[in-house]
Order: sequence, then C-alpha cells, then structure tokens
Amino acid sequence: MTAVFAALRVSAFLAWKSIHRGSKGTLALTIMIIALVFVNLVFLPSIISGVVETFNAQSIDFNLGNLVIEPREGSQYIGNATDLQQTVERIPGIVGTSARITAGVTYFYRGRNAASTLYGITPEDERSVTKIADYMTEGEFLSNGDTDAIVMGATLAGVEGEEAGGLPSLRGVGVGDSVEVAYPNGETRTYRVKGIFKTQSFGVDTAAFVTSREMNEVLGLQDQASVILVKTEVNGREEEYKMELLSYGIQEEIRTFQEKAGGFVDQAIQSFNIINAISTLVSLIIAVVVVFIVIFINTVNRRRQIGILKAIGIDQQIIINSYVLQVLFITAVGALVGMALNAGLTTYLTAYPLVFPGGPVYPVVEAPAVLRSIASLFAVSVVAGYIPAWQIVREDILSAIRG
Amino acid sequence: MIVAENLTRVYTMGKVEVRALGGVSLEVARGEFVGITGASGSGKSTLLHILGLLDRPTFGRVTIDGIDVLALSDRQRTLFRLNRLGYVFQDYALIGELTAIENVYLTSLVRGASKEDYLERSAEILRRVGLGDRMDHRQSELSGGEQQRVAIARALVNNPSILLADEPCANLDSQTSRSILDLFARLNEELDQTIVMVSHEDWHKEYFCRVVTLRDGLIEEMTECGRGPHPGGEA
Ligand SMILES: Nc1ncnc2c1ncn2[C@@H]1O[C@H](COP(=O)(O)OP(=O)(O)OP(=O)(O)O)[C@@H](O)[C@H]1O
Ligand SMILES: [Mg+2]
Repeated sequence: MTAVFAALRVSAFLAWKSIHRGSKGTLALTIMIIALVFVNLVFLPSIISGVVETFNAQSIDFNLGNLVIEPREGSQYIGNATDLQQTVERIPGIVGTSARITAGVTYFYRGRNAASTLYGITPEDERSVTKIADYMTEGEFLSNGDTDAIVMGATLAGVEGEEAGGLPSLRGVGVGDSVEVAYPNGETRTYRVKGIFKTQSFGVDTAAFVTSREMNEVLGLQDQASVILVKTEVNGREEEYKMELLSYGIQEEIRTFQEKAGGFVDQAIQSFNIINAISTLVSLIIAVVVVFIVIFINTVNRRRQIGILKAIGIDQQIIINSYVLQVLFITAVGALVGMALNAGLTTYLTAYPLVFPGGPVYPVVEAPAVLRSIASLFAVSVVAGYIPAWQIVREDILSAIRG
Repeated sequence: MIVAENLTRVYTMGKVEVRALGGVSLEVARGEFVGITGASGSGKSTLLHILGLLDRPTFGRVTIDGIDVLALSDRQRTLFRLNRLGYVFQDYALIGELTAIENVYLTSLVRGASKEDYLERSAEILRRVGLGDRMDHRQSELSGGEQQRVAIARALVNNPSILLADEPCANLDSQTSRSILDLFARLNEELDQTIVMVSHEDWHKEYFCRVVTLRDGLIEEMTECGRGPHPGGEA
C-alpha cells in the first residue's frame, strides 16, 4: 500500500515538473486541441437536442396539444364531443381541450387558388390548448360568435408576387380581404379575413380557422369533432396522462403527440443520430491521432530522460504512470476549456438562434452527452498517452540515454 | 563483493563486430576502492555499465553480493540499481526538468523517504560536494563541473553498497577533484563503501587500493597501490 502510494507520488512529482517546466507552447497547443475536440463532440448533439425540443414544443403549442383524441375505428367523427370534452376536463392535470372539425378545402382569392386544411374550432377552447391566438401578426383571432370570419396562417395568406416554394399560398391576402372557400360537399362560402398568424410551424401556417358554429352549419354536423386536442399541465408525461384517460373509460383512440407526429420526427431524429454518430467517431479518431502525435513527440523527445530514470532505478510503471498523469491533467484542462468555449457558443446561439423549418433552434446541452464526451476524451487520451510511454520505456537503457 | 568472470561485450554493427570487452575477469572485495584506467576506447565505460546493471555482456557472469545479477528480470535489475548501486555517468545524465536538489532526492522519493529526511539528506550531500548554493539551479544553469558534482551527490544519496563512477572528476579542477576524492576516501574508510572508479589521472592512484588497466578490452595490468584494502573489508 505504502509502496503503491510512494510510486504514485513519484509519478505525480515527475508529471507535475514536466508540465510545469516543459514547453508552454506545446502544452497550450495540446490543451487547445483537446478543447476543440470536446466542443466538436458536444456541439452537434446539443443542436440535435435543440431541434427535437423545438419540434416537440411546436407540436404541443401549435399543432396537437399533448394528447390527441380521434374517432373510433371506422368512424369519421367523434360523437357527443361536448360530453367527452367535459369528461376529460374533469380529470386532474388536464388544463384544456379543443374539439376541431377538419376539412380539406380549396381557397380562392383574386383568381388564385390553394388547396389546404380548414379547421372548425371553438375559439375559447382552442385558446386553452394551443398558442396560435398569441401569434397573430395582423388583425385578431376568432371570437365564439363569428360566422363570416376566417383567420389564416401566414404561409397560406402569402405575400404579393412571391411563390411559396410548393406550399399552398394565396400570395397576398391581408386582413379585411374576402376569401372564398369551397367545401368538400360542394358548398362555397365567402369569409372576411379577420387575422393572420405566424407560428413558424409549417403545417399550421398553411392552414386556416373558422368557428365550429360556422362549419357545423355548412357541413350539417351536430356536436361532432374530427379530433379533440388535450392540453396537460406539464409536458413530458404524456404516456401517464394517456393511461389516466383510458382508465376513465374513454372509447375513442387516444394518442400522445409523439405517436401522432411519430414517423416524421423519428425519421428525422434517426438521420440526425447517424450524422451525429459519424461526427463523433471522426472527432474521436482525430482526437486519438492528435493526442497520440503530440504525446508521442513529447515522449520521444524525452527518450534520454526516460533512459536516465530507468538507470537510476525508477520502475518503468512509475515512468509510464507519470506520462499518463500528464495526459490526464492536460485532458482535464482541455475539457474545462472546451466547456467554457461551448458555454460561449451556446450563449451566442441562444441569443442568435439558428432558424430551422420548424422554428428557431436553441442548443440544448444535455448532461449525458457532456459526460459521454468527457469519458471518451479521457479514454482516448489515456490510450494515446500510454502507448508511446510504454514503447519507449521498454527500450534498452543505454540506447535511450544516448538519445 | 563483485565477481565478474570472462566478461565479453561485442557490438555488431552490420557486418562489423566491435569487441569492446574481450574476456575480463575481476573481483572487487567489499570496502575496496578500485581504479580502472586505460586509453580512450579501451572498454572502461563498457565494463562499468555491465557492473552497474545498465548493460548485459555478450558472454560472461556477474555476481554481486552472491546474487547472479544477469539472471534477474529487467524490473528486478531496476530495483537492484535503486537499492544497492550508485552510478556516476561519464556524461552526468541529469534530468533537465529537475533542479539540482530534485535530481538528488528523486530516488529517495521512490524509496518512500519522508520529505524532511530526503530534503535534509540531499541538502547535506550537496553541501559536501560544494554545491550548497546551487541547489535550486537546473541543469542548464549549472557549469559542467557543477553538473558532475550533482551526479555524484545523486549517486551517493541512498548510501549505496557499491559506488560506480565513470570519470567523476573529468570536468573538475584539481582542487575540486581532490575534495571529491577525499570524500570518496572518507566514505570508503568510515562506511566501508565499495567504490569502482574510472580515471586516467595518474595522481588519483594514491587514493586507490588497486588499479586495473584495460587495453583493447582486456586487462593489461593489475597493481596494488599504497592503500591496501580497508581493514574490516572481506578479502
Ligand atoms: N553502442 C556501441 N556501439 C558500437 N560500439 C560501441 C558502443 N559503445 C562503445 N563502443 C565501442 O566500444 C569500445 C569501448 O568503448 P568504451 O566507451 O567502453 O570506452 P572507454 O574506455 O570508456 O573510452 P573513454 O575513455 O573515451 O570514455 C570503443 O571502441 C567504442 O567505440
Ligand atoms: Mg568511457
């Protein structure tokens, strides 16, 4: 035990003297390289997490709420929608519900037309679930009594003379304009545009809303809904709430927003994860090679010193450990500098976020990703530090001393 | 004591063979102070390297204090050097990143000495070789002779049972040389220190019990000097 401690003390002594009295330039360079590798390892996953987070927030706030209730197998609509909403709203932890009627319609405006979705909603209810009403860029949101009013997504409303790149657009609708809507049952209505909203969620910004009162009248429906969106008190516990709803005997299909959005996000995340894995692998290989080269040169430059240490009776394991300790120290400092750099980058990108199709993306640095990066950096450095030291330590003493 | 039999060291460089030692047999008793002389290239350093467990002979046997040192593993040899041998290299071989005193106490650190002990002991030995005011200098801040004396202090710090010194006075003026040789003689007399020292200064002979002269890798001559083996040493 004391022998082990004495040996470690000598390794630490040699390591420290070497760092302290060795070349400061090489030291700074090595630390910087490790810091940059660290940033490289942490940054991309943080952007991917940010994309996922943005996507989730957008789905909940604008598209789907936390849970989605859909008609039973074989039915087009949910019947007795008001009763069902009341049942759900009584469940603890449920903040609001919004029944929507969905119709695929064609919009006409000044000889232009666009096919997209029209939702019939109860404005009060919709406000209790989604935040669309807070994102009006012009005019205002619907009121419960409106019958001849429509609010429209900014993409669908469009901009005069601008193509929307394949997305449905009426190119220049403004508040107060009249838009004609052709319903799937052949009915047409003319609505006055009451407001335009912009959520940056493209599925929402290409749609429009009228009141359910109006849509019921056009489609001849009564207390029916295509879908009921449910908002829960906290995000991230959708599975639990789903179980809770099922336990209340609700017969309709209940899905979490993740299940509903499923395929698309999962695929995107999978692709991102592949990119991330490749980038991580490349960073780690670069880290191995760079750390290896730096330590190797450093160690080779000290062949004579290693020879002398052996000659005066210092065990090879002490010598190897002193190199490994140096590498551990350099890696620790490098990781700290890397964390500082990453914090700077994250702060900057939080102030000036990257803009993705789903909206602005803020980097989300997750502790497991940071820990994984630190662990892999240390693993790589120890290997890269151990091998050259081990090689030179096995050399013949006199050849090593001759240099 | 050291018993070396028929030590042969052949260096092979491509097709050329250099016979640095051609069969040297030598015994050094405990407490003896032996000088090794000979022309440059005669094999003095080669012999000392083998006795110091830094090199292995091509043929021959070496036992030190009854231990067949050639049969030891590399790590056992390292431990042997640490615990029993002190070696002064012809080119000093100091660690450039360490100060004079750090160079001296490094091996004490390995042996697990306490901080007070090794600091006190290394400072004392540095003062004895005349470097009391150079303890915190690094190699690049020391003259050749000062470096040589640090190397001597380092070899002596653990009270080795055998001191092997390769021209330890090569870079010293005659007055400093004399003080180093006086130190060796005192250790030899008072502590029964066994010393094997390479030298080619004639006047050093007055310090030796015996002088071994090498020529082309062979012992040319062995002469007893004024100072016979120190009483108390085994023959
Ligand atoms: N590594 C080596 N490879 C080849 N030849 C060597 C090697 N080391 C020593 N020699 C040769 O062995 C012979 C003896 O060398 P050694 O260093 O023992 O001489 P020395 O007596 O110590 O000389 P000096 O007084 O100059 O120090 C020399 O001819 C030298 O050239
Ligand atoms: Mg020599």
